[in-house]
Amino acid sequence: MTREKAETLARRGTLLTSVALVALAAVYLRALMFTPVERFQGPAQKIFYVHAPAAWSGLLAFAVTGLLSVLYLWLRDRKVDLVAAASAEVGLAFSVIMLTTGPLWGKPVWGTWWTWDARLTSTLFIFLLFVGYQVLRGAILDPETRARYSSVIGILGLVLVPFIHMTVYLFRTLHPDPVVMKPGSPALPGDMLVTLLTSFGVFTLLYLGFLAQRYALGVLRDLKEEEASRAVS
Amino acid sequence: MQYPDNGGYMIAAYVVAAVVVLVYAVSLFVRLRKVAR
Amino acid sequence: MRDALRAAWTIAGKDLAIEWRTKTALVSSLTFAVLVLAVLYFARDPTAVGAVDIAPGALWVTFTFAAMIGLNRAFLLERENRAMDGIMLAPVSPQAVFFGKLAANLVFVGTVELVSLPLFILFYDVPIVRGLPALVGITAMATLAFVAVGTLLSSMVVRTRFAELMLPLLLLPFLVPPVVGAVQATARILADRPLSEVEGWLKLLAAFDIVFVTLSTFLFEATLEE
Repeated sequence: MTREKAETLARRGTLLTSVALVALAAVYLRALMFTPVERFQGPAQKIFYVHAPAAWSGLLAFAVTGLLSVLYLWLRDRKVDLVAAASAEVGLAFSVIMLTTGPLWGKPVWGTWWTWDARLTSTLFIFLLFVGYQVLRGAILDPETRARYSSVIGILGLVLVPFIHMTVYLFRTLHPDPVVMKPGSPALPGDMLVTLLTSFGVFTLLYLGFLAQRYALGVLRDLKEEEASRAVS
Repeated sequence: MQYPDNGGYMIAAYVVAAVVVLVYAVSLFVRLRKVAR
Repeated sequence: MRDALRAAWTIAGKDLAIEWRTKTALVSSLTFAVLVLAVLYFARDPTAVGAVDIAPGALWVTFTFAAMIGLNRAFLLERENRAMDGIMLAPVSPQAVFFGKLAANLVFVGTVELVSLPLFILFYDVPIVRGLPALVGITAMATLAFVAVGTLLSSMVVRTRFAELMLPLLLLPFLVPPVVGAVQATARILADRPLSEVEGWLKLLAAFDIVFVTLSTFLFEATLEE
């Protein structure tokens, strides 16, 4: 990728992120001021409008990293690795939101900060896998080796998460059923559903904006290093 | 009160999420600026 | 095919022979096993928690840590001698190399487990006779699971800067399904539950083994220098 293309991508990504941030503010306003409070769970139920979409973005990021890892080992194209790595970093940010808002929702609504149920446990380990991925990348200097090793972890992680889910499911589960994903009519009344779906959309936009920016950053850094090593030799 | 008084949790969660999003967005912006120079 | 097996056998033999000369990792693992078993036994209120209740957890913490020490030792050897470069000069398939290393690691961990198990039965006064074959089977399946992934991860991590820190960090998520499965199954066997209750966990362990041993074997090649 040329420097111009990368810089254009960076600009477009920044624009998309900025739009998504404004939209996020709008969602915040709608959720906090214009969406009814749920009678039994109280205001804390509204955390769901942030927690669930963040979890979705985190999961999306994880899947993208995993699938691109497979693609990298097949194609050995450095760009694929850079997108995978970008997705992993963005995913880490969303995982942090997921893991902090989750307990803040769990405590008032379910009475406990944490339960080792299938969904929460899976998200915790997705977070740890993201952390491991970053640490591994940080410890390897050669870009080609780094790309290869990251892909190995990416693939292993992708295959692992369903097993973790199954493990805990076998053990027990307390997490509520996904109110939106039921076939037929969803269990959330109109206003709340609109807020939730809008939030999902905004978080997806945010993921895409961050991804574009982070990928562009990776490409630009690569280019800079190439220029530097050429200047020395 | 017709519903439980747990608004504090809601504020905390919304603030934390916003902070993480903004910190990450700013970090991307700053890092992109640094590499462009 | 026969060549591959012979190659794997030779590699396994080399690794084990080197370990046998010093026996340091073996001794540390066994010492650690006794330590863990003893500490966990005493770290409870005996009037509230029966020994048999924490027994499965104690056993599996012991086995898992033995595996970690064994994996650590394996790659420290590689690192010191850059032996991997020598191995790859020979016309050996990466899969054979992986099986050789896996076999060596399994023998190591298996030895520690074999010695720890009687100690465990002794310290925890565990009624084991009828459940022993099932317990051995579960131990074999779970050990294969995390040693396979651990062997793959070690071969990556050996070349990095913070290798000793990275291996546990990366391996931890992969320990969850096999260890939880093993602990749950062990608990039911020790409580003399019918085998049907253990069925779900056994299926999970078997599926994990099949998927991850295969995956690790194929991914191993990607960890070798080209």
